[in-house]
Amino acid sequence: MSRAKQQPAANVKRQVRPKLAQEGYSGRLGYFTARAVANLRQNPFVSAVTVGTISLALLIASLFLLVYVNLEGMAEGWSDKVQVTAYFDKEPAPLAVTVLKGNIAALPGTAKVVFVSQVEAEKRLRGRLKGQESLLEGISPEVLPASMEISLDRKHRDSASVAAYVAALKLLQGISEVQYGEEWVKRFNSFMNMFRLMGMLLGSFLAITVLFIVSNTIKLTIYARKEELELLGLVGATRFFIKAPFLIEGVLQGALGALISLAALLACYFAFLKNAANFLGVNPVAAGLSFLPASHLAAILLGGVLLGFIGSATSLKRFINV
Amino acid sequence: MIQLHNVSMSYQAEAPALNDVTLKIPKGDFVFLTGPSGAGKSTLLKLIYAELSPSRGQVLIDGTNLTRMPRSQVPFLRRSIGVVFQDYKLLPNRTVLENVAITLEVLGWGKRDIGKKVFHILKQMGLEDKVNATPLRLSGGEQQRVALARALVNDPKILIADEPTGNLDDENKEQILSIFKEANIRGTTVLVATHDRRVIENSHRRVIRLEKGRLSEVCDVQS
Repeated sequence: MSRAKQQPAANVKRQVRPKLAQEGYSGRLGYFTARAVANLRQNPFVSAVTVGTISLALLIASLFLLVYVNLEGMAEGWSDKVQVTAYFDKEPAPLAVTVLKGNIAALPGTAKVVFVSQVEAEKRLRGRLKGQESLLEGISPEVLPASMEISLDRKHRDSASVAAYVAALKLLQGISEVQYGEEWVKRFNSFMNMFRLMGMLLGSFLAITVLFIVSNTIKLTIYARKEELELLGLVGATRFFIKAPFLIEGVLQGALGALISLAALLACYFAFLKNAANFLGVNPVAAGLSFLPASHLAAILLGGVLLGFIGSATSLKRFINV
Repeated sequence: MIQLHNVSMSYQAEAPALNDVTLKIPKGDFVFLTGPSGAGKSTLLKLIYAELSPSRGQVLIDGTNLTRMPRSQVPFLRRSIGVVFQDYKLLPNRTVLENVAITLEVLGWGKRDIGKKVFHILKQMGLEDKVNATPLRLSGGEQQRVALARALVNDPKILIADEPTGNLDDENKEQILSIFKEANIRGTTVLVATHDRRVIENSHRRVIRLEKGRLSEVCDVQS
């Protein structure tokens, strides 16, 4: 059996292959980034769907974060009421007051110390009983004890810290009695713990939902381009060569989605602030309503980038056959 | 160049697509693979470019045993095989130039060299005025030539085509076959799967016939 003899021209000169253009990390990165940008341009609808989903999902999550951060700030503002009052049997001399103030200020957790003399205490009582001053007839300032009113810093307002602070305060000479709203502090701290737990729970559910929605959307958009993935494999592309532009595309989409969501969040914030006084009866400045701090904004941006990257990476696994 | 030794291939819970096939295609040969639909032609081609692995037997390409080849080496094998798919597999949202350029991008060529080489091959295919068109705007024959350009642009050692003349008129068939012949003259081993009798008869080449997954006939040059 003789085979067909269309003998190839053995001496046919093949074209000399040119130097590779993608040598080195920068060259490859440049190529992959250019390819990713071209892919975004060539698949506008699919890209828009992905960016839109990431934006919406992150907007919902960041709106929750904005509300949570502000509610927590407002609730923590209530803890300003946590005040410790130290009473004296006898009003100390001005020099002793200065020394005592210094000693109290040196206790860890002290934010502010105000001395209330017996005269000042009587003045305050009269002020409170305005219109009924007759009740105080015959009462001299000596009846009311002098005191130190102490405000604690935010880190020392929980039950255990306040109790430890009061114990340390009692050790100072001249102080006969210390009072603070023990019950209120306990209830306030339980409320804050519950609030934070609920916030974390809701936040976690929201984060899982966002991850699920975004990764499924990316999966669908990559599915829509599975022919491209298949073809790249068939013409000899390595796994890395196929994946890299898609991953960069995911990162770009994630970052763009995060930026759009932050812009929308800013718009929501200003729209809300502008009308807050009307429908909530809240003065935003007095209530201390604020936008998210820079660290949170950076976290949202990073979250978007990670969502895009992880979403693409997990979806690609399924469709690359090399 | 291409050797199959006692190759069998079964898809899950189906009758074997290939059954104990042994054949040799020497370097520089031009062979037609024929047989009725479902005879196993496409399966055999897929085994050669490692899209499938045989259930039994050995497939050797240029001395390399594909059944023992690590998965990570498959892309490098595929770079030496140009494939023209039955459904062309052109990317609809990329231009003709970009579709052909993919093969060279994978090899890491620079933009300027890719442009030159792609334009050169598109000119050979008579598609120089379609460089910026998208595949959906091309006729069937033009799409086939783009697919052929993509397969040939890196001067592969082996050219495989699955039913390349299926939907084409006689004029286009002639054109496509002459491109295959030119590639073969340049040293490329050509393997074309077709059931188009006229194409086979007019080409006067070696013919391998498959039937129900078995090699039924190997005919030498037809005159």
